Amino acid sequence: MDEPEAPDSFGAFRESFAYGERNDLNFKFMKSMTDAEAASFLQKLLHQLGDTYDTGDAMPLIETAYRTQVDSYSPAPDVPPSMFTYADGPLAPVQTSLRNARVGLLTASGHFVSGDDPNPFGEIAMTQERAIERSDHFLSSTPLLSEIPVTTPATELRVRHAGYDIRSSLKDPNVTFPIDRMKEARDNGTIGGLASTFFSFPGITVQGRLRNVLPQWVERIHEEDVDVMLLVPV
Amino acid sequence: MSVGHVARAVEESGIPTVTVVTKSFAHRASEMSIPRALVVRHPVGRPMGAPLDTSRHTHVLNAALGLFESTTVNGTIVELPEPYRPMRSDS
Repeated sequence: MDEPEAPDSFGAFRESFAYGERNDLNFKFMKSMTDAEAASFLQKLLHQLGDTYDTGDAMPLIETAYRTQVDSYSPAPDVPPSMFTYADGPLAPVQTSLRNARVGLLTASGHFVSGDDPNPFGEIAMTQERAIERSDHFLSSTPLLSEIPVTTPATELRVRHAGYDIRSSLKDPNVTFPIDRMKEARDNGTIGGLASTFFSFPGITVQGRLRNVLPQWVERIHEEDVDVMLLVPV
Repeated sequence: MSVGHVARAVEESGIPTVTVVTKSFAHRASEMSIPRALVVRHPVGRPMGAPLDTSRHTHVLNAALGLFESTTVNGTIVELPEPYRPMRSDS
């Protein structure tokens, strides 16, 4: 007779939300919390849920989850700075007014056009679930930049990303890839025009390999002859 | 932050950039001295706002575009004060 499985410890439960058996990318930050912090967070959520039964107002729940996420991602004071910390950086001059500017877009949301799947690692038609299973591979591979013609209807956009919960982007790509809003800005004269092609890649990647391909990406971006560029990480 | 590297490289090549950053990654924008950053008080994965919240998307976009006209120094970070809001079925 098989031995019954030992129950998870609270620590294992907490960590299982980050690519474990309870994977939930909205709450993967619980992995970096202490048991006490995670317990306090969950207790507060449940308490506020009790209020929501009566009020129907979920905003306190959202606010608690949001603030906890922000705190969890913020580095502790005793953590040494990232190797990619810079005292200063470039600032290119804006050469034209917005009303005359041709605007480009690049996002780290992992969008691509239906029929033009970048097929990471040679895997055909990779699902979101499979991407999550292969998150370590994304974190050790050169990122693939997808080209998205600006004429692409939102309904033809696809998204896949092993680092964040894509459900919002599936409901509306403009959450992470604001193609329709930028077309509106062009049409109402806020901006002068749009690049003919926008760009997206899955931002879950190894920084060194990304830096290696950046010269090619920048060269491609210049072919779009844009005056300014909007960048949207997730 | 991957896009931080992109921002620096594109900017160094002569094209001005604005990066829309969720609050959880605002420290990265600061560390990396990216040229212009708009910080939004949205959960990770929803930088422009909730699905179908077109007015918030437009507000974020316009604020981001505004940084092209107002920024005079590298490392400019502006935070939008509005908290995230879900798109309710009755709104």
